[in-house]
Amino acid sequence: MRSSDAAQTAKKQPRWGMVIDLTKCVGCDTCTVSCKAENRTPPGVSYNVLLELEDGIFPNVKRVNIPRPCMQCDKAPCVQVCPVRASYKADNGIVVIDYDRCIGCRYCISACPYGARSYDDGASYEQEMLGYNDVQAPEYGKKRGPRRNGKIPEGVVRKCSFCFHRLERGEEPACVETCIGDARYFGDLNDPNSVVSKLAASSRAYRLKEDQGTEPRVIYLR
Amino acid sequence: MQTTSAGSRLHRIEREWWTVLGIIFVVGMISLVKGYLLEGMSSTNLTNTVPWGAWVAFYIYFIGMSAGSFLLSTLIFAFGMKQYEEIGRSALLSAIASMITAIAFIFLDIGRPDHVFNSLLNWNIMSTMAWEIHFYILYILLLVTELYYSMRPDLVKRSEEQGRFAKLSKFLTFGYTDVSEESLAWDKRLLKILGSVGIPLAIFGVHGGTGSIFAVDKARPFLNSGLFPIIFILSALVSGTALSIALYVIKNWVFHRPHDRTMVQSLGTLMGMFLAIELGLEWYEFLIGLYGLKSEELLTIKTMTASPFWWSFWVFQMGLAMVIPLILVFYKKTRQSVKWVLAAAIMTIVGVVGVRFNMIVPPFIVPVLKGLPPGNYYPTLSEWVTSLGLIAMGIIIYTLGEKILPIDQYEAKTQEAADGLGAFDAGQDFGHAGLEKGVE
Repeated sequence: MRSSDAAQTAKKQPRWGMVIDLTKCVGCDTCTVSCKAENRTPPGVSYNVLLELEDGIFPNVKRVNIPRPCMQCDKAPCVQVCPVRASYKADNGIVVIDYDRCIGCRYCISACPYGARSYDDGASYEQEMLGYNDVQAPEYGKKRGPRRNGKIPEGVVRKCSFCFHRLERGEEPACVETCIGDARYFGDLNDPNSVVSKLAASSRAYRLKEDQGTEPRVIYLR
Repeated sequence: MQTTSAGSRLHRIEREWWTVLGIIFVVGMISLVKGYLLEGMSSTNLTNTVPWGAWVAFYIYFIGMSAGSFLLSTLIFAFGMKQYEEIGRSALLSAIASMITAIAFIFLDIGRPDHVFNSLLNWNIMSTMAWEIHFYILYILLLVTELYYSMRPDLVKRSEEQGRFAKLSKFLTFGYTDVSEESLAWDKRLLKILGSVGIPLAIFGVHGGTGSIFAVDKARPFLNSGLFPIIFILSALVSGTALSIALYVIKNWVFHRPHDRTMVQSLGTLMGMFLAIELGLEWYEFLIGLYGLKSEELLTIKTMTASPFWWSFWVFQMGLAMVIPLILVFYKKTRQSVKWVLAAAIMTIVGVVGVRFNMIVPPFIVPVLKGLPPGNYYPTLSEWVTSLGLIAMGIIIYTLGEKILPIDQYEAKTQEAADGLGAFDAGQDFGHAGLEKGVE
């Protein structure tokens, strides 16, 4: 257990983590779609994507699907580089972006080793989807009303927040809830008895780009 | 004395100069309003894979130009190298103009200009970019103060004359018209202090710091190297020196004045020296990068040297900004000719644009994770036109400065020569000599 986790344990606060079992993932992209629906992300912004990789040389090939949400790193490069402290680590372990503070310099996009961040350039699905602009997801628990030109979050950087707003009302992130193969687990990495903690201790567990020293809170089971 | 025909020739050149600059500037501003203000970032080819493009490349280009010009000016004001006296103020002015242009570029690049003051209110001391913003402000203040004190004796002189800019000069003296020996000595001391403070500020704060914005990016192995900020500083010195050479020679051509050939030659040699060091550092950067066999690093180098972007590296970075100018300033016949040194300088100025693009684009084309889409970036027409408009703005600022401020020191220099002052203490006393001329 990391020392920051220990401090949180003392306070009995959860520090969220996610486990994705790659052997259960079929690569259907339900997570990607449900994420777009839940967070109502505009064109060009996808919090969760699926990396479809081919391993090996024919005929010994296998397909690996790696769903990639934000890793919510404990040592997040994006938090390090943000010039205005708009990205920061919340007490519950989630890396949060304060849209009202972000200047849109995109330094965090360039610094993220997982490509998890996207810039909202103001594009909209209004042309293809009736009423897209009428309401926005209450990201980080803040209601922002309809999506309008030039209004926040246009011009800022966005990313997966583990569905912060759903967690606050006691629900799991959308991708975890909708996963058709139950490949995703979500829970408190602070609690040694939680499912995620037990899975994270498995010998199958690994994290993406461990060499970067970012300490991601998304753990994969190979 | 200028004859009338020479006078009308100057007028014609000036009119043409302003017309061309004005047109480019206006067109650029129209494109800025149409693209940046009305369409936002969708007027650019930027994506989440390549988040930075032409505007960031030009921003570091002009930051480098500014830091380089300033460092060259410190040779005069801090180290007292009198042989370069004539380009001192114009180097400072071009440093200011470049800095303003650079800041205009980076201001365009941020998504929410209305939040920009957050960078001062909410300073993240862990962020290299936050530090840079503060350094830039300090640096601009320092540049303006230094230019002001270097011009002060001439401003006082002008304000006492009946010339076109007497009133402006009088205002700009801010009532401080003391040009006694002591106050001039004080000015000189101040210039020396400012220059000395400015050297570490320009090297580590402004330009090395801008380099470290990119160098700390551990997600991009090609950028993430300790040599990167140093290469930044070297290419700043190269482009700053090149800019000073070009400005000096072109100005003399316009005014039909003889060149100080020894000065141009020694500036050319200086540029060659910086180029040679830069090339050496570049070699280590690539050697160590290749040796590490990291796939992203190898792919980045491949993107630079052997992809459809090859010309930016081989033609601009290696050809125009390195090998050809190096040959020109080291080969005996060409280095002694002002024209060839000027050619080397202009090639470098153009080539360094490519150097800056190569720092920004190829490392971002390579995706950070296997399976993410590779990027592709080429600036849109709107980005190019807006960039040209902002460059024209920088040149307008410089030309205006040359026109209304006592930047040009040719007259002062010839006056001293006429007064029979030695070349060595000429610089020390030129303010005084100039004043006498005014009193007469």
